[in-house]
Amino acid sequence: MKTKDKKPFLNVDERNRQVTLRIIAIMYFVTIISMQFILIYRQFALGQEIQNFEDIAIITTVNSLFLISALLYFGAIPIRKLEIKSILLIYALIVAMGSAFTFVKYNLVRSPGLTFRDLFDKLIIVYAVTGIIMVFFVLFSFLGKRKMEKELE
Amino acid sequence: MENINLKIARVQKGLSQQELADLCEVTRQTIGLIEKGKYNPTLNLCVKIATVLSLTLNDLFWDEN
Repeated sequence: MKTKDKKPFLNVDERNRQVTLRIIAIMYFVTIISMQFILIYRQFALGQEIQNFEDIAIITTVNSLFLISALLYFGAIPIRKLEIKSILLIYALIVAMGSAFTFVKYNLVRSPGLTFRDLFDKLIIVYAVTGIIMVFFVLFSFLGKRKMEKELE
Repeated sequence: MENINLKIARVQKGLSQQELADLCEVTRQTIGLIEKGKYNPTLNLCVKIATVLSLTLNDLFWDEN
């Protein structure tokens, strides 16, 4: 039997795409995790100031933000309902962890620790940044949910 | 698990793996791996293969056992 003169574009079919995407996802994960370890090492082991690795910090932060936003938007993270109660609970949990981390970093590890006033200034930044990130994520969840509903109509 | 049904259907139709692959617009390796049971094709590809071989999805991909 004669076959049609049809070839997959660049000889890439669905299996090739799946394998490629899987490898890209794994390598992306490895890269981001490695960069996180580099950050921790430079900050805590080498004792470098944030100014010395600001570039890596920005890349990992922006990457993580967009990764989670994309996962929320394209429906990879299942969200049944966007409830104010759950959003506030998640915010409170993150803020509690951030506060604990800030306290450990500036008052337990360092001696002498920060004064209450200086610590409060740092915590305000934690609350504000967490709030902005939460708004970002809620917005993408909402848009993703709306997109999905439209597609299902 | 090896997909004997697909292999038999392909041979009965007188097609080589390469020919079936060309008709389905995939690579020969993909057809080989489906026959070996080492790759689960998407439903779209299953339908394409079934259409090319003039069979149903049940004939090709349903295992009675």
